[in-house]
Amino acid sequence: MLAGSIFLYFLMRSHILHMQEQQLHLKQNNIWRAFTNTAGGLPLQIRGEYDISPEAVPSTPVSDRPRDTVLSFPGCPAETFNLLTSRFTDKDRSYLVTTYISSTEVTHLIIKIALADALIFLLLLGAIVIINRKISRRLWAPFYATMDSIRSYDVRRHAGIALSAATGVEEFDQLNQTLRLLIENVYQAYRNQKQFTENAAHELQTPLAIIRSKVELMIEGSTLNEETAGLLGEINEANDRLSQMSRNLLLLTRIENRQFPDEETIDLSRLLEKQTTFFRDYYADEVADTKTEIKPDVQLIANRSLVEILVNNLLRNAYIHNIPGGYVRVWLNHTGFSVENSGPPLEGDPTRLFDRFRKGREDSRTTGLGLALVHQICQLYGFGIDYSYRDDVHHLRVDFRTRG
Amino acid sequence: MKLLVIEDERSLLASITRYFRKEHFLCEEATTFEEALEKIENFQYDCIILDINLPGGSGLQLLKFLRQDKKRDGVIIVSARDSLDDKITGLDYGADDYLTKPFHLPELSARVKSLLRRKYNEGNATVDLYGLHIDLTSRAVSMCGLAVPLTKLEYDLLVFLITNKNRVVSRQAIAEHLYDGPGDQAPGPEFVYSHIKNLKRKLKEKGCKEIIQTVYGLGYKLVA
Repeated sequence: MLAGSIFLYFLMRSHILHMQEQQLHLKQNNIWRAFTNTAGGLPLQIRGEYDISPEAVPSTPVSDRPRDTVLSFPGCPAETFNLLTSRFTDKDRSYLVTTYISSTEVTHLIIKIALADALIFLLLLGAIVIINRKISRRLWAPFYATMDSIRSYDVRRHAGIALSAATGVEEFDQLNQTLRLLIENVYQAYRNQKQFTENAAHELQTPLAIIRSKVELMIEGSTLNEETAGLLGEINEANDRLSQMSRNLLLLTRIENRQFPDEETIDLSRLLEKQTTFFRDYYADEVADTKTEIKPDVQLIANRSLVEILVNNLLRNAYIHNIPGGYVRVWLNHTGFSVENSGPPLEGDPTRLFDRFRKGREDSRTTGLGLALVHQICQLYGFGIDYSYRDDVHHLRVDFRTRG
Repeated sequence: MKLLVIEDERSLLASITRYFRKEHFLCEEATTFEEALEKIENFQYDCIILDINLPGGSGLQLLKFLRQDKKRDGVIIVSARDSLDDKITGLDYGADDYLTKPFHLPELSARVKSLLRRKYNEGNATVDLYGLHIDLTSRAVSMCGLAVPLTKLEYDLLVFLITNKNRVVSRQAIAEHLYDGPGDQAPGPEFVYSHIKNLKRKLKEKGCKEIIQTVYGLGYKLVA
């Protein structure tokens, strides 16, 4: 298009130049004829038209190519002219005849043609873009439909993905076919993985139950002495931790897989009251002071087990990581709840508090998964969770409002 | 008392029956669905300890058959499937109790006895021990007519020890028993000691014999 326009411009220009040259020649001949016919009666010069100058000695060679010049007339702006000078002889006298032709109009013409050309060019371009877009939109519609399907696909739910098998375009049919296969394979792999984690954690429980029952039978035995008692105690403790760890891992996996779909209205006030009472009584000898400020009738719609675990783990954390004679404070209102406790400063990075297997102290009392579970549950329900530590006081807050 | 233990893991089955035989229960065993079905159909038991995952079928199916036959045998489900759904389904099918694996044998024993008590004593259950009188219905404890004020935890602890009297009960088993929050999130056993100490003190104040013994660092035993 652009090349065509440029070509057209040069073609026009050369043609116009050629035309002007022809006109100059014609004018020259006409003037010369009129000059000889009137035997020199013609005025020697009409400005802007012609110019006849007698030449004493034909010395300088004369170019027969047209040249440009600028002439100005009184009262008018200067104009560009094209001029051509030729030598004519009449009765042994030589004359130089120069004819002029205005090139301003021609320039205007070229400009106008160029403008028209540019306009056509732009309109055509616009039309091409619009038509192209329309066509491609229709042509690519199956592609965009596929893209949408993929974007809304969630491997955790695997709600059968709708990929048309007959889009009308063979390539897209192939694409959809390939994607269907890919998704099916990914889902299979995901399901196997999920199944494996669940089964592994689940199958572990049976041998753990056997170990536990055998240790309990040994504890009963009459052959118990202090040494074996100590060993059995350690076996028991390790076994219990292992058991709790595998359960928590299973729980984490299941929360990640969103396998807790059953939700109900939970009276959080009552739940918190009940659990706080238990922990207060259970740890009464170590944590001297438990204060609660629980607003009644705070309700949540969520899975009961998960909310119980959330509350339990936060409370347990506050009591376990406490100091003798310390305190625990619990607040609940409609925007969230906070658990505050006295305790030694946190070891390590507070931002990694919710990581799996992160433990404050080399503490055999915890699995290192309690707060990871809390975090996972908060994430599931879109709760905000904040931790702060100042002046030997740990503060953990769960915010319901950030629920998205 | 006649007990049927349905459990496909022989080793665990042996532990359970051994534990209960010590208390003079009559224990029968079944390791497969068919075997269990046959026993359930032909005999009557005071309590059935039922595993859900069995070769040949589901324990829930057995429970369904049992209740369809209008049999009133007490049933305690013991399963490694600890999701709430399974628990609710189990109880809906007519199970009396549900315990997740791994469990403590004293806990299973306490559940079985509690079930039998509910079944046969019609709520009029009392325990008498060296002058100590415990009313299990009203949860009141007295010593020679004098009330012993116990906290909820101390009461639960005392009853648990009495239920498992003359047996060593580990601190872990006690901690898990005392706790009634979401399954398997029980607090650590290290604070059981302080509750035992308080319980012992309160009993001693009312003139009760030293009935609770500490067994090395392992656990406690109520001697009767």
